[in-house]
Amino acid sequence: MGRPRGFDEATVIRSAAELFSTRSYDGISMDDLVTHLGVHRNSLYKTFGSKRGLYQAALRWSLEHHIAPLIDRVAGAGDLAQALHVAVGEPAEEAGLNLLLMAVVERAPVDREVADQLAPVLAAFDQAARTAAGQHSPAGQHPPGEQHSPAENARQDEDDVAFALTATILGLRLRARAGTSGTNVDQAGAALAHRLTRHP
Amino acid sequence: MAQISIDGDTLVVEIEGLDKLWALKSRLAIPLANVRGATADPGIVSGFFKGLRAPGVNIPGVITAGTFRLDGEKVFWDVHDAARTVVIELADERYARLVVEVADPRATVALVEQATTSR
Repeated sequence: MGRPRGFDEATVIRSAAELFSTRSYDGISMDDLVTHLGVHRNSLYKTFGSKRGLYQAALRWSLEHHIAPLIDRVAGAGDLAQALHVAVGEPAEEAGLNLLLMAVVERAPVDREVADQLAPVLAAFDQAARTAAGQHSPAGQHPPGEQHSPAENARQDEDDVAFALTATILGLRLRARAGTSGTNVDQAGAALAHRLTRHP
Repeated sequence: MAQISIDGDTLVVEIEGLDKLWALKSRLAIPLANVRGATADPGIVSGFFKGLRAPGVNIPGVITAGTFRLDGEKVFWDVHDAARTVVIELADERYARLVVEVADPRATVALVEQATTSR
């Protein structure tokens, strides 16, 4: 399909990701998008099909360019304290994590494709958190519904801890959005890491 | 005003009342495979030039109905009340998009999105 474009699609997607990370999906009109992105309405429709199409492109971009590198840095952080610092303490991570947070809260419950898009990302986050916490289990996840041996139970425990760590990272970002200063959020992460490693 | 429904693999757009006259259409049937998405978009109505009527009627603030050509594309319009406008983007169809007024834009967008993603 030939689509004449008078704009750079990648730039538009990046700007849309920024906009969607600051305001709710329902609160952003096509007028807002036209104004913010500086692209004609017809071109937006022609290229992305709908507001949802643009949102999905923006989310995909952010997951690939913000979240995937962040997950790598969390996994390579060395310890839990550093992992939490990397995930919530760096201002550069805000846009990506904000969009992820909003997508989880707002879009995943009503848009199955978004939920499907987020599930592997959250699983990768869990895996990274587990690696950072020094509880890495190379065997991966076990299938549900099986009889669990002690080793499997231990692995389940690690899965659960990793799940809680990802939830903590997103929760700290939520508190940051609610107005808590970056320093406090960072301190909270450090204090939690300290407590967890002191009482394993 | 238009009534939008899903019939199997087809999106059906029924034009209601006198709008059939102005729009010179009473019913559009579009395969769901050719529906790219739907967006509630009140702002599109107050926008600039809608294109050349071919054929259609455009009395700003009152009615926009019929076929309009803009940038080499055909767009079907049937809108009185801008607040309830939904834009349905199509592919490989006579019309590039449909701009229609519906009773409940949010419900219509959800209906179209559900039908086009559950296939």
